[in-house]
Amino acid sequence: MEEDLKTSAKGQILSIRDLPTLPRVLDEVSRLVQDPNTSIEAISKVISRDQVLSAKVLKMVNSPVYGFSGRISSVQHALVLLGFNVIRGVIISTSVFDMMVKTMEGLWEHSVGCSLATGLVARKAGLKDPDEYSVCGLLHDLGKVVAAVQLPELHKAVGETVRTMDMRWLEAEKAVLGFGHDRINAWLAQHWRLPVTIKEAMSYHHAPDRAQHYQQHAAAVHIGDFVVRVFEYGNGGDDQAVPLSPAALKILGLQLADLDSVMDGFAENLSEVSGVNFAPEDAGK
Amino acid sequence: MTSMALTLFPRTQRAFLLTPDPELAALFQSLWPGGEVEWTVFERGRRAMEVIFNEPPDLLVVDNRLEDIASTEVATIVKSENVYRQLPVILCLDEADLRQPWNWNEMEADDFLVRPVSPVQARERVHLTLCRASRAMDANPLTKLPGNTSIIQRIQDLIDRKDDFALSYCDLDYFKSFNDKYGFSRGDEVLMMTARVIVNTIRGFTGIRTFVGHVGGDDFVFITPASIAEEACRRVVDAFDGIVPHFYDEDDRDRGSIVSTDRQGEVRTFPLMALSIAVVFNTGGRLKHFGEASAIAMGLKKKAKENPKSCYVLDRRSE
Repeated sequence: MEEDLKTSAKGQILSIRDLPTLPRVLDEVSRLVQDPNTSIEAISKVISRDQVLSAKVLKMVNSPVYGFSGRISSVQHALVLLGFNVIRGVIISTSVFDMMVKTMEGLWEHSVGCSLATGLVARKAGLKDPDEYSVCGLLHDLGKVVAAVQLPELHKAVGETVRTMDMRWLEAEKAVLGFGHDRINAWLAQHWRLPVTIKEAMSYHHAPDRAQHYQQHAAAVHIGDFVVRVFEYGNGGDDQAVPLSPAALKILGLQLADLDSVMDGFAENLSEVSGVNFAPEDAGK
Repeated sequence: MTSMALTLFPRTQRAFLLTPDPELAALFQSLWPGGEVEWTVFERGRRAMEVIFNEPPDLLVVDNRLEDIASTEVATIVKSENVYRQLPVILCLDEADLRQPWNWNEMEADDFLVRPVSPVQARERVHLTLCRASRAMDANPLTKLPGNTSIIQRIQDLIDRKDDFALSYCDLDYFKSFNDKYGFSRGDEVLMMTARVIVNTIRGFTGIRTFVGHVGGDDFVFITPASIAEEACRRVVDAFDGIVPHFYDEDDRDRGSIVSTDRQGEVRTFPLMALSIAVVFNTGGRLKHFGEASAIAMGLKKKAKENPKSCYVLDRRSE
């Protein structure tokens, strides 16, 4: 029975055609792409704050159409390779959530916060290409977004379970679905031919020592997730702290005390991302 | 209409019509009074075959009413030879021929007309088939960018019109050693990436007429106005250098080099791939022939290649 649910859920998840986003970033990018003189850098900076738009461009550039699946992990590189016309096409065809907006705003803040924190962790650990780690942080909970769209009833049941049983989101997913968003992430990353670094970070951010090739990516996201939850910025679906895996610190060669400077850096830079308001522009009026 | 046909094709198009039907022959011959498409009519199919093989036309129209050979057989013979299969073939059929579905995989015709043939439809179908064939024939099979014929034609056009332009020749340093170590399909990935980088960077200059072509292998060209050539090179090189390390395995990327066997069979260390660009300017109509442009570019490229990093060399003689 459980296997049946998993198979049908996987089919549902992978059949996603229309992944909506939140209006604020979309509006901003839409304005940018209307001006043909906009630089790719400017578009890239904005898209890098939106997990859905970032996922869409990375999915597209890694598709077999372009002939280099699994190679591109940077949003900026993706945009250079896709080109202005394709970017504009992606933006034009993206819709926005008309339901669950409040939930999604919390999840968007959590995602962009985790992106910032993960990048800081990577820098602290002296890892190469910290921007790639930021992308991993940005996409780490994409499975939750896709589940909300493709499995709305089950998603609702998970939310109920979190509230009534006082569980973490991941535990509630396992109780209701039999698998977590980490598994959904693995399906999506595989299906979309994302680079293995991103795939493993998305799939193993709750258990970095189980990643086969890129434990550092998974570990950095794990700690990034921890940091953003300590600051209670955004919402990953529950209000519980993630238990910090000692293995994650070990993988990155960090001490617990090293997190102090990561936290400081996060506090300093948070204003940059928390200035990103995911609500529609006229919401406050 | 004649003026439209003039802009569609760079030169007179030679077309063969194989038909025993004088009315059909007269119809096709009357459709291009300006002579943009020049018709040679053969009443017998077999006799036409040798001429087709010796002097392949730009288009072949075959009537199903040929008496000595089936129109489909003519088409099949042409299409089964790799050197002739680019030649577009239009069949002229009767409605009754279409009652049974055709296997268009076996019968590789490009289009068909149905009797009674409408003159305007015949004209437009001929135009469409010729244009489609010129696009398809010359495209690089990997990157789908225009190939040599289009590149040479574009350059010669610009030279003939005495337009100012900059012609940039790009190729990859150490592509061969990458291919040797990682295999050709990984090499193709790099070529696809390079094509996208060049096309999107050049198209990023909006409102300007530009051209990007794929000469073959790891050789590409782009044509821009002279004023933006240097900036274009700079942007192409920057984008390429940022992206290309991701096409290596992690250990080679970290090391910044690969170990592979060189042309003499010796094991050597090679740097990561880099882009060399040689830029030739045509200002004040100094170039007379496309060959001059490529000769100057080849000389400059040697200079660009002396630098193992990505770089561009501008032909300063023109300034």
